[in-house]
Amino acid sequence: MSVSRILVVDDNPTNLKLVSDLLAFEGHEILHAMDAEEAQVVLTQTLPDLILLDIALPGMDGLTLARQLKADGRTRHIHIVALTAFAMKGDKQKALDAGCDGYISKPIDTRAFPGEVADMLTRVRDRNPGDAP
Amino acid sequence: MLNLRGPTSKVTEVMIDPSQRSRDQFRALLEAAPDAMVIVDQSGQIVLINSQTENLFGFSRAELLGNKIEFLIPKRFHAMHPGHRDGYFGDPHVRPMGAGLQLYGQRKDGSEFPVEISLSPLQTDGGLLVTSAIRDITARKQSERDLQEKNTALERANEAKDSFLASMSHELRTPLNGIIGFAEFLADGKPGTINPKQREYLEDILNSGRHLLHLINDILDIVKIQAGKLELNPETFRLEAVIQEVRAGVRPIAQNKHIHVSLQVAAGLGTVTLDEQRFKQVLFNLLSNALKFTDDAGEVGIRADLEGSGRFRLSVRDSGIGIKAEDIKRLFKEFEQLETGTDRRFGGTGLGLALTRKIVEMQGGTIDVESEVSKGSTFTVILPLVYRELQP
Repeated sequence: MSVSRILVVDDNPTNLKLVSDLLAFEGHEILHAMDAEEAQVVLTQTLPDLILLDIALPGMDGLTLARQLKADGRTRHIHIVALTAFAMKGDKQKALDAGCDGYISKPIDTRAFPGEVADMLTRVRDRNPGDAP
Repeated sequence: MLNLRGPTSKVTEVMIDPSQRSRDQFRALLEAAPDAMVIVDQSGQIVLINSQTENLFGFSRAELLGNKIEFLIPKRFHAMHPGHRDGYFGDPHVRPMGAGLQLYGQRKDGSEFPVEISLSPLQTDGGLLVTSAIRDITARKQSERDLQEKNTALERANEAKDSFLASMSHELRTPLNGIIGFAEFLADGKPGTINPKQREYLEDILNSGRHLLHLINDILDIVKIQAGKLELNPETFRLEAVIQEVRAGVRPIAQNKHIHVSLQVAAGLGTVTLDEQRFKQVLFNLLSNALKFTDDAGEVGIRADLEGSGRFRLSVRDSGIGIKAEDIKRLFKEFEQLETGTDRRFGGTGLGLALTRKIVEMQGGTIDVESEVSKGSTFTVILPLVYRELQP
């Protein structure tokens, strides 16, 4: 499996570490941010292949960040996967409406999650063949 | 026919009274009524009252007789009232006054009070009169208001409870995911190999963590259902394959207790369209209950049959401890694990069956149980083959 660069945005340090380490075990290069503002700073320097974005963030929420990234020509192509904690009625649709390309319900299943992320990355490559590393 | 205008009335002179006795009887009848009774003529003039009227309005009989009925009505209604009265005399029949309106009376001291009035026509020698029975409903209005306030308070408390439980479940799940997730890393040997005893303890941590997660999820589901926020995602799937998948999920528990779980699916039953996850949850709950309450080397059986009119029947039978008849109706209620004798050793929150019932009913199904103590129980779920959301 090929290595990708993934930005994980989550305000909960345990969750952030869990997701980041899990994907690092798979060999991916991981960037992290604890909130949307930090994610914006990271994105000024590096563009990842995939963003795993927690929706409930302090300050700017994940949906707002997703809308901004999809409105910006520089970041529009980056695949965004919402990590929706609540899976309440309407939450998933809200994520898609904000421009997210997919969603994964939290809590993540550490045994299924790497496969789900790999599927997302395959879709990214199918969509942007030139970007494949 | 009666002549009601007795000798005390100002207009008596015009009437000849043929029957003093029947008039006295009528007055006695009026006095016996619990309500204030006021009889008026077509011009709205008060012809006769009972003493309850005096008590209620604070006027003496002499002050009222011969006066207009508007005397007893707050000023703001004076303009409309004669019109309503004419309307009534045009179509006189027994009916409540001002249906759907709030009516008020006015006492001598000017204070107002809510009333309920019923009207009935009264044919007399002197022409058509109207009897109004007037009841002070201050106390009833007050208790209606109290009841409404209590109801609102109860609804608010209930919403607060739901939102507390929802956020609580969420807050509990977050650290639990850390516990389960990192224990999985170790058990899977991601950071390096572990020895068999370490693996065993990690599996113990994982089992306890997953059990706790399951209970928290059940609470969250119940709360979501109560708040009308549970989403159903119907998908078409092969029924037998999914039943087998769930049966495989409980195999470790069944093998531990040496219980054989048989499966029989009717030949005509192919695919169904339901929320697959929720269907699995229902079957899993029924199966794990059956296994929990069945002794070693007992039997558990799953059957699926066509039910007709687009439905199918799924039943889970066990040879377990059974349920007493008087306990069956409590079985599907939240937090009502039956606490008879040794049952507590089986653990659980008492949410499983309540949740199962709700999920089944949300998809237009029913759940039922037949049971005999120490023989076993059979839980039967009837579900549509194709679930369609009811609202647009």
